[in-house]
Amino acid sequence: MPCERKPMRYGHSEGHTEVCFDDSGKFIVTCGNDGDVRIWEGLDDDDPKFITVGEKAYSLALKNGKLVTASSNNTVQIHTFPDGDPDGILTRFTTNATHVVFNSSGSRVAAGSSDFMVKVVEVSDSSQQKTLRGHEAPVLSVTFDPKDDFLASASCDGSVVVWNIEEQSQLISWPVLQKTNDISNAKSLCRLAWQPGTAKFLAVPVETKVHLYERGSWDHVSTLSDDLQTQLINVVAWSPCGQFLAAGSVGGSLTVWDVNSKLCVERQKHEKGFTVCSLAWHPSGSQIVYTDTEGCLGLLDGLSTPTPNTNTTKAPATKAAKDYDDLFDDDDDDRLMDEGLSETNSPVKKPVAGDDDDDDDFLMPATGRVRNRGAILDDENSLDTGSLKLGQDKFGDDDDTGSAVVPAAVPLVPMRPVYEGPMPTAPQKAFQPGSTPAHLTHRFMMWNSVGIVRGYNDEQDNAIDVEFHDTAVHHAMHLTNSLGHTMADLSQEAVLLACPSTDELASKLQCLHFSSWDTNKEWMVDLPEGEDVRALCLGQGWAAVATSALMLRLFSIGGVQREIFSLPGNVVCMVGHGEQLLIVYHRAPGFDGEQALGVQLLQFGRKKRQLINGEALPLSLQSHLSWLGFTAEGTPCYVDSVGVVRMLNRSLGNTWTPVCNTRETCKSKSDHYWVVGIHENPQQLRCIPCKGSRYPPTLPRPAVAILPFKLPLCQTSTEKGQMEEQFWRSVLFHNHFSFLSSSGYEIDEDGQSQSQKEQQELLMKMFALSCKLEREFRCVELAELMTQNVVTLAIRYASRSRRMALAQRLSEIALEKANQIREDEPEEEEEEPAYSGVRRTSGYSQSEVMEERRGNTRDQEEEEEQGEELREEEEDGQEMETEEAAETTKRVNPFAKEAVSSVTPSLTPIGKVGRANPFKVLGSGKPSSSSGQPRVTNILDNMTSSRKLSPLSRSAGKPGKDPVLKPLAPRPKTKTQSTLLQMNATKAASKKTQENTQPAADQQKQPEVPPPASPADNTENNRPKTGFQFWLEENRKSITADQPDLEETDIIKEAMGRFRTLSAEERLLWTERAKGQTGDAADLKKRKRAGGGVENDNGQVEADENSSKKKKSLDPSSKLSAFAFNKT
Amino acid sequence: MDSSEVEFLAEKETVKIIPNFSLDRIYLIGGDLGPFNPGLPVDVPVWLALNLKQRQKCRIVPPAWMDVEKLEEMRELERKEDTFTPVPSPYYMELTKLLLNYASDNIPKADEIRTLVKDIWDTRIAKLRLSADSFISQLEAHAKLDNLTLMEINTIRAFLLDSLNCMYKLRSNLQPGSSKGQFTDY
Repeated sequence: MPCERKPMRYGHSEGHTEVCFDDSGKFIVTCGNDGDVRIWEGLDDDDPKFITVGEKAYSLALKNGKLVTASSNNTVQIHTFPDGDPDGILTRFTTNATHVVFNSSGSRVAAGSSDFMVKVVEVSDSSQQKTLRGHEAPVLSVTFDPKDDFLASASCDGSVVVWNIEEQSQLISWPVLQKTNDISNAKSLCRLAWQPGTAKFLAVPVETKVHLYERGSWDHVSTLSDDLQTQLINVVAWSPCGQFLAAGSVGGSLTVWDVNSKLCVERQKHEKGFTVCSLAWHPSGSQIVYTDTEGCLGLLDGLSTPTPNTNTTKAPATKAAKDYDDLFDDDDDDRLMDEGLSETNSPVKKPVAGDDDDDDDFLMPATGRVRNRGAILDDENSLDTGSLKLGQDKFGDDDDTGSAVVPAAVPLVPMRPVYEGPMPTAPQKAFQPGSTPAHLTHRFMMWNSVGIVRGYNDEQDNAIDVEFHDTAVHHAMHLTNSLGHTMADLSQEAVLLACPSTDELASKLQCLHFSSWDTNKEWMVDLPEGEDVRALCLGQGWAAVATSALMLRLFSIGGVQREIFSLPGNVVCMVGHGEQLLIVYHRAPGFDGEQALGVQLLQFGRKKRQLINGEALPLSLQSHLSWLGFTAEGTPCYVDSVGVVRMLNRSLGNTWTPVCNTRETCKSKSDHYWVVGIHENPQQLRCIPCKGSRYPPTLPRPAVAILPFKLPLCQTSTEKGQMEEQFWRSVLFHNHFSFLSSSGYEIDEDGQSQSQKEQQELLMKMFALSCKLEREFRCVELAELMTQNVVTLAIRYASRSRRMALAQRLSEIALEKANQIREDEPEEEEEEPAYSGVRRTSGYSQSEVMEERRGNTRDQEEEEEQGEELREEEEDGQEMETEEAAETTKRVNPFAKEAVSSVTPSLTPIGKVGRANPFKVLGSGKPSSSSGQPRVTNILDNMTSSRKLSPLSRSAGKPGKDPVLKPLAPRPKTKTQSTLLQMNATKAASKKTQENTQPAADQQKQPEVPPPASPADNTENNRPKTGFQFWLEENRKSITADQPDLEETDIIKEAMGRFRTLSAEERLLWTERAKGQTGDAADLKKRKRAGGGVENDNGQVEADENSSKKKKSLDPSSKLSAFAFNKT
Repeated sequence: MDSSEVEFLAEKETVKIIPNFSLDRIYLIGGDLGPFNPGLPVDVPVWLALNLKQRQKCRIVPPAWMDVEKLEEMRELERKEDTFTPVPSPYYMELTKLLLNYASDNIPKADEIRTLVKDIWDTRIAKLRLSADSFISQLEAHAKLDNLTLMEINTIRAFLLDSLNCMYKLRSNLQPGSSKGQFTDY
């Protein structure tokens, strides 16, 4: 008989406890040393109902809705069950009663007491008492004969006595127990048990064995023992079918015997070895619940009592026939088809039924009140078949000893409802998010980000306390709750309270509008008759109330009635925030433990509209809603009973994303977190840890804890998973920026840029990681998510790590992004079209230049470029290495706000590599990509914040002769100012004149300049110009004179040709001159950018010329000064 | 060093408070504090916590060890062991005194805690005296005591040092001898 031992849970404070099931088996009822009777809806119920019966409760018995308890004030009292109303005192003793039991019909109660007496009292008339005297020591336990003739009792005097109740006389006495002087000294409680049904055997625990005495002859007929049972047996209990006997011992072992075979069929051990002081069978026989002397409650589940084996062997044909007869007798209106199945089905069905019950218990919402499916089933059945309960019926069917005793052997099958499909779930009741259940005497009526509303409802006081987290909002308030308000909401402006209607009074809505500037701080509204407030909430300047008439009523905060509309279903709860109202209601009946909830999100304010229109609210499997609210930033979110927090993702078509599972952080299974608020920036889930319960107590005052969010992405233990999780969490938690700005609120720009930065940083990290893992495709996918300037970084990274194909693809993406940005922002400035047009053509012209040059000097150039790259690597060797070793740390820098200086050096290579590589790889170069490159860099310059682009370029545009250059201007300028030497400024100034001579050429040329200037270059800004440049300055005039119609590029080309024709000496001369000029060559300023085109040739020709590094550095510096000029 | 100085040092310990006002991060020499969000626990030094508490600007969350059950356990252990047991906080006495004096309304079962801490303190001081006594009576040169708190050392210091000096004088006068005579000159 396999069974599962469920983990023990806390039931009562330390001391003797007792336990039983109620008649239906739905509730476990316990009593304990703390004087409470607790009613558990299954072992996992964290919020049991309790009835306080006295200072201590020694014993309890439950039957027919009557709860009899023996309490410390020496009385035996009755309470109604499950309501717990006191129903009088049954009897009194001179000292406390030790054990109380009902007889099988529930008409009489027997109680044994420490004053040596046993009393038998009629439940209906407590004056009808029979007193059984004869024990010489406190009575340990009592038990009724199921046929009501006899009563057995055990006492500390060592005797077990059978009494004749009518004659009040001892029938027989067995001196089998150890003598003690008091219950507290007794080794064993010696709970007797009489076999139910046939009443054939009386089970008496005697030390480590159980003696069975036969009724009538009172002979000791057999002994149940187990070799492994070495401890004293404390309690015994018969299974409802009478076939099995369970025993619990002082050492915590639990044993079940099959009485017919006298074999031990189940052994279990208490997990801590505490004394089992009470045990009870589920009416279906599938579970045993037990308690120990430490106040803990445990459960054995899945006891498939009547095993098919015993059933087949023991059920003779005649018995089957008899069953059939019964079947016809009792249920002639039922389907005959099923009868044949009855015998075969029952053993199978029973465990199933048992499991079902258990499942239901487990899934029962702890808010209670909701009757579970099993119970509903039970009710239907009992209606069908008179007063019989399902559990009993089942046993009637299988009871092999069962002759006449079993109430009525109604077969199982006809009782089963025909419908076998999914069963509807009881819809969850309406609640206020942030409140604890209304049945508590001290409860939180509301705990939100503004404050706390507490309700007290005990004998002395019925009051409401309002307290504000921030005392600056309002001072704390204490209100008497004369109307019996059960619902509350609290905002910065008002407190809203509502009570349900009573017989005389209508349901009322009361608003304490404490922020009102007039003297009337309060208003009240009566709802129409028959309409009850179900849920309420406060927004900014309005209040909303959902009523039982499926109506939603809006009020202004001052009490003016506003819109009213109908709800599609019964409201579950409702919250408001600013101008948003979120309503959750029952869309349809749920099935199999699910709730079918719908959600509506409305926005008031100037433009009233419905954002979410009755879509289904996704909940975890078999859970219900437990909290609903807005984040402080105004994003709807909710928590279900499984602890999953979900948040609205406005950027993905209003879908709900799970952002946290609070249960993951719980230490124990019965711990919960009670959510009170959610913040998106900083990311905080504010909640109250509740140890062993779902709700916090009002005292001691609970402290708020903060949980982090975590998206349930796969493999978050890996670096990749972690970063992905972080990235998407960041994206999700910054959706509110766009929402807020779109609805016209001011937003925290700092926070927004911070978050964007963070996201891009994460993308870059992921990019680097994928690069390291050789996942180039993935790299490209990641690049798609990046903003454009980060793509350029990625390009740089890719080309550095020699992934040219990747860099190529990335540059395409960068181009696409740039186009997209341009398309997205056409209205940003009127100049834009022209600007981009010029840009494009300029890119074109550049590529032409390059191509031509290439034509001339391809070989050298390639050498050069390779050398260049090598040099770059040398230059940045330090940086590179660290970068590749630990991208994570290094990559942070480019984004770090304060690290401007570190940003710029890393930018240098972008320009170079970004420019050089596409050409190198592509050979002649696609126009698109080559024209793309300058763009990339342009945008890189401007895109640190795309917002800033427009005002800057606009302001730059005002002086306005040269719009082409504007976007480029701001950044180089600052750099010039910060890093260039004074000399460069003078250069720039002098260049002005130069520029003016060739404005037309320049306008075309400038866009070509883009590769961003950089401090790395800046350090070499005062490098000399090349000899060629000097020569060009000198000879430009003559060239233009010779061929006036030449383009600027052609001029240079021509110049190069001519320069080359010069003799080596002449060239050397120019070079020398160039060297000599470095310091003071103000008058010799040339158009330095031309040098960029020429330098390669120079490098070739002038062997003694300074290293090409120096030359190379030249052009950026010249470019810089060009910008500086344009700026001034 | 007197006990007020020890108390001053204890005020640097951090304690959780729940402020009822809103304030951004504040930057102090000793480090940054805050930000303060109403209703959200934040760690601050005891001196600030008490200051805020006195101005009714916060509720103090008692430290985890300031709990009747834990202190009872500690007391039992302290009584059972002959040596000093580790204390929950190096400033347990000072913190208890400060918090209970100024914020007893925020601490559940304040009176019981006060008694328990006093019990622990008494037990420890008794042990300290006992060990001082045996130290002197056995004429030891040095002794090692673990897990003593600053306040406890401070309590016994003045008395122990004075009495040791005194005894030294007495002893050196009692035993005649040239060398002893020299020592007394010091």
